[in-house]
Amino acid sequence: MSAGCPPEAYAAALAGFEGMTLSRLAALLRHHDPEQAWAVALRQQPATGLIAHVLAKREVRDAWQRSAAARRPDEVFARCQELAVQVLLPSSPRFPGLLAADRQPPPVLFAKGDLSVLEGRRVAVVGTRNATAAGREAARQLGAGLATAGVHVVSGLARGVDGVVHRALLAAEGEGRPVGVVACGLDVVYPREHRDLWAAVANCGLLLSEMPPGIGPEAFRFPLRNRIIAALAEVVVVVESRERGGSLITAAEALDRSIPVMAVPGPPTNRAAAGTNSLLRDGAAPVLDAGDVLASLALEPERAAFEMAELRARPRAEDHAVYEVLRHEPRTIDGVALAAGLSLVDAAMALARLEQAGWVGGADGWFECVGSPLR
Amino acid sequence: MLAAVRSATVFGVEGRPVTVEVHVATGIPSFQIVGLPDEACRESRDRVRAAVLSSGLQWPSCRVTVNLAPSGQRKGGSGLDLPIAVGFLAAHGQVPVEALAGLGFVGELGLDGSMRPVPGIAPMVAAMQPCRPVVPVPGFREAQGVVGDGVRVAGCLRELVDALNVEAPWPEPPDTELFEEEPPVPDLADVRGQAMARMALEVAAAGGHHLLLVGSPGSGKTMLAMRLSGLLPPLDAATSLATTMVHSAAGVRLPAGGLVRRAPFRAPHHSSSMVSLVGGGSTSLRPGEISLSHGGVLFLDELGEFAPAVLDGLRQPLEEGVIRLARARVSATLPASFLLVAATNPCPCGGGPPGQCDCDEGARLRYLRRLSGPLLDRFDLRVGVTRPEVDDLLASGGGEPTAVVAARVAAARQRSLERIGMTPAAIPPGRLDDLAPLADAARNRLRDELERDRLTGRGYHRIRRVARSIADLRGDGELVEDEHVVLAMQMRVSLRVSHRASAA
Repeated sequence: MSAGCPPEAYAAALAGFEGMTLSRLAALLRHHDPEQAWAVALRQQPATGLIAHVLAKREVRDAWQRSAAARRPDEVFARCQELAVQVLLPSSPRFPGLLAADRQPPPVLFAKGDLSVLEGRRVAVVGTRNATAAGREAARQLGAGLATAGVHVVSGLARGVDGVVHRALLAAEGEGRPVGVVACGLDVVYPREHRDLWAAVANCGLLLSEMPPGIGPEAFRFPLRNRIIAALAEVVVVVESRERGGSLITAAEALDRSIPVMAVPGPPTNRAAAGTNSLLRDGAAPVLDAGDVLASLALEPERAAFEMAELRARPRAEDHAVYEVLRHEPRTIDGVALAAGLSLVDAAMALARLEQAGWVGGADGWFECVGSPLR
Repeated sequence: MLAAVRSATVFGVEGRPVTVEVHVATGIPSFQIVGLPDEACRESRDRVRAAVLSSGLQWPSCRVTVNLAPSGQRKGGSGLDLPIAVGFLAAHGQVPVEALAGLGFVGELGLDGSMRPVPGIAPMVAAMQPCRPVVPVPGFREAQGVVGDGVRVAGCLRELVDALNVEAPWPEPPDTELFEEEPPVPDLADVRGQAMARMALEVAAAGGHHLLLVGSPGSGKTMLAMRLSGLLPPLDAATSLATTMVHSAAGVRLPAGGLVRRAPFRAPHHSSSMVSLVGGGSTSLRPGEISLSHGGVLFLDELGEFAPAVLDGLRQPLEEGVIRLARARVSATLPASFLLVAATNPCPCGGGPPGQCDCDEGARLRYLRRLSGPLLDRFDLRVGVTRPEVDDLLASGGGEPTAVVAARVAAARQRSLERIGMTPAAIPPGRLDDLAPLADAARNRLRDELERDRLTGRGYHRIRRVARSIADLRGDGELVEDEHVVLAMQMRVSLRVSHRASAA
């Protein structure tokens, strides 16, 4: 094998093996240094314990032999350097202490950006990929508010809430910085429409993954990624989640680690808020704005700093009635006319005025309240 | 020993006159048909011979040659059975040749000598004029619808021969009671709730706007679409005749009166082939669904499931109102001026209110991309349809019945015709300011929408046309008001391709 490779190279290559699970990699690297572990995995040295048991399986032996040919340590390591990705082993002084002390530490970590971000105050904000307009607005306000208060936000860079909170954080240009934890290699952007966001997060904050470059997103990697999000946060805030959403896994991982979980309440009829509402029923603290999160971090909430003045003209008369009808659930124009007791024409006119003023948004024939709610 | 009989064949939706010449001579017994007959036509030899013998007439051992003139043109179908038989009988002297003067024959023969109807009697009869047509009994109304009085009928070959020999009077034409009444169109009063979609149907009917219904499964898209043809006014004389020709040529059952007067409603399945939809075939160029819905409604359910090439085939007829079909040897122009109504789900899972949908944006995008492009752009009206709410279903009484809405539609059409001589959907972009001027408030609203990038240039023209139709329906003066524009915009929902709002 190519001499002169640093130990990180062997660990990076092993992490990308086909059939390499978290526990197998942890077992390999616990008992051997990375170069030895490489030899053990390829059966050039005797294996013990779990690894001996695993290597007794023929399909694992074959898969690892194949992977070793495809993922040579020197090449994987060169690829990391080319991408400016740091490879961190728990033995490294730069390895995040939070993760090293975790009950399920990543055996090897890939990082891009500034690791010192993890020394600041950190809140995880996660949520569903199919967020409602209200959920998006809540995520936007949290992102902006936390950024202004100088709190770093950990999230998963997924569609929906995750993406919105980081975009809002970046747009606010406050002290708070983004930490993105992803489930695939740092060169595989998923979802693709977040390409710009990935780059911005790596530039302004930190991008982390357990997977070496070239590993694609696979469903089973996401729950594992969620444990890292939980482990890095002081508080986990779930914005919107369905009854069995991935965000609830993050919340459960946080509870396992005695990290407080908070949730943004939503109407009981909203399917996208079913998971968060059940968290609230189970005792999670409610989050109405970034101030609630800051309070839980024992930071002085400077509400005035991120509460923007309302620039939109207050809806009056019919418009107000229509707004109230839409406040709790999205409706079609038929539904608005029926609930507000207006004719179709009057409802259409009121909706047009509200839309023009920026209180209501419509798509697919559905209308819902947008922006911060009318007080 | 020679006879010539007038008949016709169908080509596209037109009849073409054919002269059937029959020559009977001594020689080796044979029966030949020349003049480019197709397979069905060539088989008529066996039918004709059997029918003549079953009718108690003679088929001697002689040489029979049939020529279908003009000989260079392909002929198809079984409608030439009757003229061939009559020609043979005249040439052989069993019927006087003079009796055939001024008559034209069309019909298929059964082996027992009975006369059966064929598709395309209407256009064939039209092509045979000024001859008096002789048709099988079930084809009577169809022929009468085209040429008026003077249609002769016969039930079987024997009856016909007796009439021609003046041994019996011509059989009486059948009574109207023999024909079934048209089933009534479904009534709009059956639809509960759906105020917006109802209004869209009304606007579509009044202005001639193509309509896209977007909604989750079970929300009633098909139910609504089926009620549109009842809102359209009865066909005018020219359209009625053209549509009758198409229906006749395609062998679609015609209504009792013989003429298609009510706007047709056609709903081909999404597995339909290109030829079935736009028409075609190598020799006869049979009309497709778009021609069958001439003057009426073509409903395409599950628009996204149609093959993209099939949908693209609709674009030219949508623009021109006719379809030009050409094959190596033949070409034809068929009428195809129809109101397109399509239905689609908003996304693969069927959608619903925001937050209910299971699809990620990639899947949505792929689904909608199948519809997008030039065809989607042809729809002036894009209306969301949702499952009616419980209150709606329980509300006492349905909505307005078809008759009431149809009266408003007719009045609006009349107003538009009197003022500008066309339906608003047909106003060319350059003449919008001239024919559909805007009030100041309406102009400002549209300018604002354009500036905010929520409206494209094409969307702008379409909304102005729809707004004009709404103004016509409400009987409001010369100017298109703000209110009309707002309603028009509500009837053009954006398809949520991305949460970064897409322009209409």
